[in-house]
Amino acid sequence: MSDGMDRRRFLKVLGVAGGGAAALSGCGIGPEPTEKLIPYVIPPEDQTPGLATWYSSTCRECGAGCGLHVKVREGRAIKLEGNPDSPVNHGRLCARGQAGLQGLYNPDRVTGPMQRSASGTLEATTWDKAIATLQEKVAAARGKGFVFITGVETGSFGELVDEWMQQVGGRHVTYEPFAFEALREGNRLAFGDGAIPTYDFAAAGYIMSFGADFMETWLSPVGFQNAFTQAHSFASGQNASMAKFVFVGPRLPQTGLIADEWININPGTEGMLALAMAQVIVSKRLGNVPADAARLGLPAAGDVAKTIGVDLAVIERLATEFTRTSAPLAVAGGMAAHYPNGGQIVAAVNVLNYVAGAVGKTVKFGGDLAQGSAGKHADMATLTTEMAGGGVALVLVHGANPVHTLGGAFAQAWSKAGFRVSFSPYLDESAAGADLVLPDLHPLEQWNDSRPRAGVYALQQPVMLPVFDGTKQTGDVLLQLSGKSGTFKTYLQGKWAALQKRIGGKGAFEDWWDGALQHGGIYGDAPSRPVRLSAGVVAGMSTSSEPASNAMAVVFPHPALHDGRGANKPWLQELPDPVSKITWHGWVEVHPETAAKWDVTNGDYLLVKSAHGAVSAPVWITPSIRPGVVALPTGQGHKAYGRYAKDRSFNAFDLLPAEPNAYGGRTHVVGVAVTKTAEHRKLATSEGSSREHGAQVVTVLPLNEARGLKVGELDEEEIPEYARDAERGWAEAQHEKAFLGNYAGEHPRWAMAIDLSKCTGCSACVTACYAENNLATVGEELVVRRREMAWMRIERYWRGDAASPSGAAVTPMLCQQCGSAPCEPVCPVFAAYHTPDGLNGQVYNRCVGTRYCSNNCPYKVRFFNWFNYAERGGEFEAWPEPLSWLLNPDVTVREKGVMEKCTFCVQRIRSTQHKARIEDRQVQDGEIVPACAQTCPSEAIVFGDLNNPASKVHALSNDPRGYHVLARLNTKPGITYLARVVAGGEA
Amino acid sequence: MIAVVGGRIAAQAASPAPGTPGYKAPLITDTAGLQGPRQPIFFRHDIHAGQDRIPCMYCHNTVAVSTEPGMPALRTCFGCHQIISGSTPSHQAEIAKVRKAWSDRKAPEWIRVYWLPGYVHFPHMRHIKVLGTGPESCANCHGAVNGTTQISQVPTLKMGWCISCHIARSVSRDCSVCHY
Repeated sequence: MSDGMDRRRFLKVLGVAGGGAAALSGCGIGPEPTEKLIPYVIPPEDQTPGLATWYSSTCRECGAGCGLHVKVREGRAIKLEGNPDSPVNHGRLCARGQAGLQGLYNPDRVTGPMQRSASGTLEATTWDKAIATLQEKVAAARGKGFVFITGVETGSFGELVDEWMQQVGGRHVTYEPFAFEALREGNRLAFGDGAIPTYDFAAAGYIMSFGADFMETWLSPVGFQNAFTQAHSFASGQNASMAKFVFVGPRLPQTGLIADEWININPGTEGMLALAMAQVIVSKRLGNVPADAARLGLPAAGDVAKTIGVDLAVIERLATEFTRTSAPLAVAGGMAAHYPNGGQIVAAVNVLNYVAGAVGKTVKFGGDLAQGSAGKHADMATLTTEMAGGGVALVLVHGANPVHTLGGAFAQAWSKAGFRVSFSPYLDESAAGADLVLPDLHPLEQWNDSRPRAGVYALQQPVMLPVFDGTKQTGDVLLQLSGKSGTFKTYLQGKWAALQKRIGGKGAFEDWWDGALQHGGIYGDAPSRPVRLSAGVVAGMSTSSEPASNAMAVVFPHPALHDGRGANKPWLQELPDPVSKITWHGWVEVHPETAAKWDVTNGDYLLVKSAHGAVSAPVWITPSIRPGVVALPTGQGHKAYGRYAKDRSFNAFDLLPAEPNAYGGRTHVVGVAVTKTAEHRKLATSEGSSREHGAQVVTVLPLNEARGLKVGELDEEEIPEYARDAERGWAEAQHEKAFLGNYAGEHPRWAMAIDLSKCTGCSACVTACYAENNLATVGEELVVRRREMAWMRIERYWRGDAASPSGAAVTPMLCQQCGSAPCEPVCPVFAAYHTPDGLNGQVYNRCVGTRYCSNNCPYKVRFFNWFNYAERGGEFEAWPEPLSWLLNPDVTVREKGVMEKCTFCVQRIRSTQHKARIEDRQVQDGEIVPACAQTCPSEAIVFGDLNNPASKVHALSNDPRGYHVLARLNTKPGITYLARVVAGGEA
Repeated sequence: MIAVVGGRIAAQAASPAPGTPGYKAPLITDTAGLQGPRQPIFFRHDIHAGQDRIPCMYCHNTVAVSTEPGMPALRTCFGCHQIISGSTPSHQAEIAKVRKAWSDRKAPEWIRVYWLPGYVHFPHMRHIKVLGTGPESCANCHGAVNGTTQISQVPTLKMGWCISCHIARSVSRDCSVCHY
C-alpha cells in the first residue's frame, strides 16, 4: 500500500481528530518497511523454502514418552504432532505436548550460564568459567554430600548421570512430584511386584476407574485415551457393544466427563468398594473366578455399604456388570492413590482385577511403564533432612523444580546446601535460588533418548539449531566434567550401538541408526510376566479413617499445568480447564450445598488451611464434587519461572505434608479448615452456563436407544410453515450464485463429523488450533472481559439432576461453516462470504470490524481482535520474542479490528490441493487433516469432502446418530455431530 | 547498426531477442536512469538469462514445487563465478563482490522488489504448473526479465491485475484461494 488514501486508512483516519499525517504514523500503518531477501550461503540439503521438513522425535513434557513428528519451516519448528509409528501415542498428542513449542521459544529462557556474584545477584558468566567453578565444587564435595536431582530419566542421560555420580562419589536422586508411589506399593502388596504394568484399555469390555485420571496425567494419557476410545466408543450399525465406563471418586475430573456412571463415593473408601465388589464376585461366582480367590478372606459387601456411601444393590450391580465381560479393567490412581492409605487402595483394586480375571489380560506385567522407576517422595524427604542438617555440600538439579513443589521445608533446607547448581532452561524457583545456572537445551534442540516402557526405545533429535547460542546440552557438560571426550551424541550413539547388538538389529550401525531416527525409535514388545496374588494381601488392609475436620481437600494435578511446569506457557494458561473452564488462575471446587453453608458465591475467596500450610483460593461452585469435599488444582503460585507464571494464583502444594506417608509417597488429600475471606475475584472463565437451558446443544442417547436408531429418527425440528418459502428461496439463491461463471462445475463441500461418543473433552484440539492458526493469547484480564480468541472450545454440560449430576456431556464447538450462514448476509464488505467449496470464508483484509457477523452468529464462534496482539512491545503482546518464531507462515497474523474464526484449516486444504495439482492427481479422502482432527487422541473428528460419496465424512453425516446443533435455526451446518451414547444408567 | 562482416557491409539485421542465440546484452554506461532499487551486487538478468540463456529455474529452483520461488544460494553464484571473472572492469568489480561474499560466508542482502502483503498466500507452483517453466511463463507477471538490466516491479501487483488474468483464463476467482 504505497500510494495514498485507501479504504481502510480512510476509516481509521476518520476516527482520529484532525486526521493529519502525524496521527497516521501513530496508528502503525503507512508504507511498509523495505524487506530484504537473504539467501542461503550453502543451502541445507533437506530444506525447501516454502515447504516443511518433518523430523521424528520424542515429547518430554511428561513421563509418557509420546512420539513426535516436528514440522520445521525454514529452520524453525512450528508445529508438533504425534508420531503414528509410536505405539505409545499412535500419532496423537495432548495439549501439553502441543504446547512444547512454547517451552522452546519461551521468552523467559535463560540465554547463557549465570553465576551468583558476591553481591548476591545472578550474573552472566562464560561456560569456561562456569564449568571450571563446578569442577572445583565437585572435587571439594567428595565425601561431604553430593546429590544430583533429576526428573525420571529412563535413557542414556540417566545412565550418564549414574556413571558420573559413581565416578565422583555422588548420589543420583530422581524426583517426580507425581511418582505413582501408591501404584507401585499396591502392586507390590498384591503381586509382590513393584513395577507399573501396561493397561490394555482397548481390549477391555468394562472399565472402572477408581480415581485414576488416565486421560489427563496418569501414566500415559494420550495412549490410554486412544485405547479407551476404541473400547468405549459406539460403533453404529454393528452389533454395537460399548465398554461401559464407571468413574469412582468424590470428585469428577476431566477423565470422568465421559463416564457413563459416576459413583460419588466417600473419600478414602475407594478400596473398600473394590473389595466389596470382589467379595460379591467371589461369593456369587460371577465370571471366571480364579481358584485361590476363595481363600482371600474378603469382608462382606453389606458391611461396608454404609461407610462408603454406596448402596449394596449398586455394589452388586457393579460386580455383575464388571464380570459380564471376559476382559474387565479396573485402574486406581489419582486422588484414590493419594490418601494416606493409597497403596492399600491400589492393592484392593488389584484384588478386584484378579478375581475378575483381568490380570494377565488387561493388566499386563512385562511391558512395564518407566514412571515406575522414579524416586519416591520419601527419597526427597530424606534429602531434605540431610540438607537441613548441613550434610550436603553440593546439589545439582535438572528437570525438576523441588523448591516449588515441595515448598517450605525443602526450600529452607535447600538454602542450607553448600553450593546449588541448576541446569534448568528457565529461572524457576529452584534455579532462582541456585548459585550457578547452566541452562540446558530444550528437548527439541538436543540428542537424547528414553525408554517410556519396556521394549520401546524412543529417540530424540535436534530439529533446529539452538534458539540461544549460549545454552549448552547438560549431557555435554557432564561429559566434559567427567573427562570423557566427545559430545552427548557420540555417547548416545555408543549406547545405541550396544542396543543394536543386544536386540539383534540388522545391517550396519549407520543404516540401522538412520532407520531408528526416521521412525522415532525402536518399537518392540516386552515378554509378559505372569504374577500371582499374594495370599495375605486382604488381611493386611486397614479400613480408611480420615481425621474429622470441617472439610477434606483434594489437591489434584492440573491437566495442563501439571506440577507447575506448564505455568509459563500462555497457551496452557489460557486453555480453559476441561472441567471448570477457568483460565489463568486456580480455584477451589465447592459443592452448591457446601457453598450455601459457607455463604460463598463464585469468585469469593476461601482461606483453606491444612496442618501444613494455607492458601487463599477463589471458589468455583460445581455439582461435580461431593459436599464437604473441596478440590484445588496444582500448577500455579510460582514465585519465579517467568512472566506468565510469576505471582499468579496460589500454590496448592503448600497444603500438603512434607513427610512421606506409609508407602513413601506424598498424601494429597488433607483435612482442612475453611474460612470465608472478604476478597473476591472475577473468575476468568470461558463458560457461559453449565446448563443448556433447552438449547439442546448436545444430544445424549442411552445405549439401547442408540442401538436401534435409524437414519432420520433423531428429529431435527421442522421448519415452520411461514418460513418454508424463505428458507428454500434463500438457500437456492445462495447456491445458484455459487454456480455463476467460473464457480460452475464440481467443487468439494468440506465438512466435518464429530463423534461425541469419542470426545472426552480433553481439549488437545484447542491447543493444536492455537499452534496451527496463530491464535493470540489475550491474558486473564481480557478473558474476564470475554475477549477470548479460542476458535475451538469444549462446552461442558451436566447430565441428570442439577444438584447431583449423573455425569457430564461435552461437545466441541467451532465455526459450523454453515451452508446458510447468518454471518454472511450481514457483512457490509463481503469479508464473510460463502466459498464455492462450502467454507464460510473470512477475508481478513476486507474486514472493517463492524462485528455484525459475530452478533448474528448463533453459535458464537466468531472472535474479534479487540487489540493489536501482534504489536511488538504492545500492551497485549501475545508473542514476545522469540515466541513469535512459532507462528505458522501459511496463516495470516490478524491485526486489530479484524474478525476471525475457524477456517477448517483452509491453509491445509489449499496446500493439499496445490500438492495434488502439481502431482496431477485428485485429493484423496483423508489427505486433508485439520489440526484439531490430527491431534485428537480419541480420533473423534473426521474431515473430508461431503460431496464425495465414498468419503468417511459422507458416511458419518448419514449416520443415524448424526444431528446438527441448533438445527431449528436452519443454518445448514457443515459439521455433523454424532450423539453421545451412555451405557446403562440414565442419559 | 551496420555490421561489417568479412569486408562487405551487411544489411542491417533485426537484433535477436533476449534469450535467443546471438543476443548480446547492451553495454550500460549510465545506470542512473534504470528503474528499480540498486542491489548490493549489480546483478544483470539480461546478461545471465538473456545472453547466457541460463534457465530461470537454474537459480529460482523451487518455483515449481513451492510457494516460494527461491532466491539462489550464494553457492549457486559462486559455482560459475569462481571461474568467470568478468570481461570489463565494472563486471569484474561486481564479481569480486560475489567472491568476497563467498569467502566471508556472508550472503548478499537483496532488496525485495516483488512483494505481496502477508494476507495474500500466492502459490508459485500452481502458476508454473499452468504456465510452464520457460522464460515466457515468468514474463507473464515479471515482465521480460531476460532483457532487463536491473529488476524493477513491472506490473502493479494490485489485486485487480491478478483477477484480470484469472478472468481471462477462466480460473477461480474465489477469495479464499489466496486470502486466508
